[in-house]
Amino acid sequence: MQETPEEKPPVFSRWSAWYWLVAGVLAALIVFFYLFTKNYS
Amino acid sequence: MSFLDWIVLSCTLIFIIVYGMWKSRGQKDLDSYFLGNRSMPWYIVLLSIVGTQASAITFLSAPGQAYADGMRFVQYYFGLPLAMIVICIFFVPIFHRLKVITAYEYLEQRFDLKTRTLTSFLFLLQRALSTGISIYAPSIILSSLLGWNIYYTNFFMGGLLIIYTMYGGTKAVSYTQSLQLAIIFSGMFLAGWMVMHLLPDDIGFSDALHVSGKMGKLNVIVTDFDIKDRYNIWSGVIGGFFLALSYFGTDQSQVGRYLTAKTLTESRMGLLMNGLVKVPMQFLIMLIGALVFVFYLYFRAPINFNQGLLNRVHNSQYAPEMQVLEKRFDSLSVEKTGYVKAMAAALETEDEAAVESIKTSLQGAEAASDTVRKEANQLIEKVAPGAETNDTNYIFLHFVVSNLPEGLVGLLIAIIFLASWGSIAAALNSLASTTMVDFYQRLFRRNGTDAENLRASKAWTLIWGVFGIAVAQFASGLGSLIEAVNILGSLFYGTILGIFVTAFAMKFVRGHAVFWGALLAEIVVVAVFFADIVSFLWLNLIGCAAVMLFAGICQLLQNAIIKPVR
Repeated sequence: MQETPEEKPPVFSRWSAWYWLVAGVLAALIVFFYLFTKNYS
Repeated sequence: MSFLDWIVLSCTLIFIIVYGMWKSRGQKDLDSYFLGNRSMPWYIVLLSIVGTQASAITFLSAPGQAYADGMRFVQYYFGLPLAMIVICIFFVPIFHRLKVITAYEYLEQRFDLKTRTLTSFLFLLQRALSTGISIYAPSIILSSLLGWNIYYTNFFMGGLLIIYTMYGGTKAVSYTQSLQLAIIFSGMFLAGWMVMHLLPDDIGFSDALHVSGKMGKLNVIVTDFDIKDRYNIWSGVIGGFFLALSYFGTDQSQVGRYLTAKTLTESRMGLLMNGLVKVPMQFLIMLIGALVFVFYLYFRAPINFNQGLLNRVHNSQYAPEMQVLEKRFDSLSVEKTGYVKAMAAALETEDEAAVESIKTSLQGAEAASDTVRKEANQLIEKVAPGAETNDTNYIFLHFVVSNLPEGLVGLLIAIIFLASWGSIAAALNSLASTTMVDFYQRLFRRNGTDAENLRASKAWTLIWGVFGIAVAQFASGLGSLIEAVNILGSLFYGTILGIFVTAFAMKFVRGHAVFWGALLAEIVVVAVFFADIVSFLWLNLIGCAAVMLFAGICQLLQNAIIKPVR
């Protein structure tokens, strides 16, 4: 992922860490929803 | 509605209007009116982004959708977090660096005036019509369920918010959206809690989920691929990604929200947080609908949740036929309640064989109920030809009005107003900013003073507000217009996105090529739509890809023609 050096993000040192966090949470939610669907159907 | 409900409703709406006007005092120029002097922190940007996207229909239709079709609609939002990432990397830095008020200003710098004008015109066309429908859609639901006059409801739905939107510009929009969302989420939480509270004592949360799941309402993930199916994981991730990229990256109603941030970092944080909260938020809203489904397995549901249409049939020559159908429907409801109680008992004892057997019986009774409902809809069509018999949008509100205590009903009705106002106010603000910056100021009056520009901006906000109400009043007589305008939006988004992606990714393409490429792409999108071969979510991807392809070809042809002449 492309980095913009001019502004440092909060919490993490690089913006790419935020991008991976958002993508990772989405992946985790999809896994959770898959298990949720399987468990209750 | 009781007197207490009216008090709660009136006080909430008046409070929002006064709060919006108070928080947005002291507008001086276009930058303060349309961008709030770029002073917003990320959490206000986040709430404003969420408040702009979530209309009343989001809070009414999503639970109804879960009730009728299960929770698979959640997948529609799977592409959104990925789109937030792409927008943060490519779109936001450019908009901030160029200090634009509208996204379309950038297109003149990158291409030429005609490309900017074409894109902003496409935006104005679809946003103006969809704003009218945003006023009409919740109004028709309220008017049908509560017996209100549709014309007055349209006027109140679209008229009151014009006061603070015109007076305070984007600051009023952002601050009221924050407060509106706080009230909306409190109300939705209370509604969710009430559903559980109203279920029989021997049915716990887990039992309700199991019953709902066995009836196919907790189908959050659907992995089967079907290009004509709107809601599966593939259309959600891929089609939803392009839809979200178009909406958040190129629609001024959203771009105008995150450009109010005080820094690039604040804009990015607002968008990324939206990527984190949107999917779980939608999941929870739809879960309420899945629980309302369980509630109506225990308690009598109407044969059609649109009480207004039902009353018309009861007052017509078809009343006896409807009564027969309702009797059949009610006896099937009693039968279903018996099965649900038996299923809950079987789940308690973990008797899987009994659960499966009861599930089959319950599904049979549900199918029989659906058949009776279809027959009732045919009667409705005879009495009200052209009327929308799909009652999905009415389910949640019917539950609220029929089952919640005094005061809470007024609060939930206020929430419908507030949710509508949040998205309509942002739309009016974006329509006014695009008209002012991309047309009025750019083409007709380049040297206006700050005071003149501010007056003109307020006038355009008022004009677009009145136009929205007029569209809503016109829509009252045309049942199919909602569908038509939704399709209109999806027809243009892909092309607008394609112009921006070409600007960012295809450096060799110039103004003439992208202009003609966009026009050709639009023809392709319209042709694909009329051929009816894909779900509308895919039109965004097709439009975007077609613009890039045609713009590239046009540029190569232009280069080939011009070079020999040189």
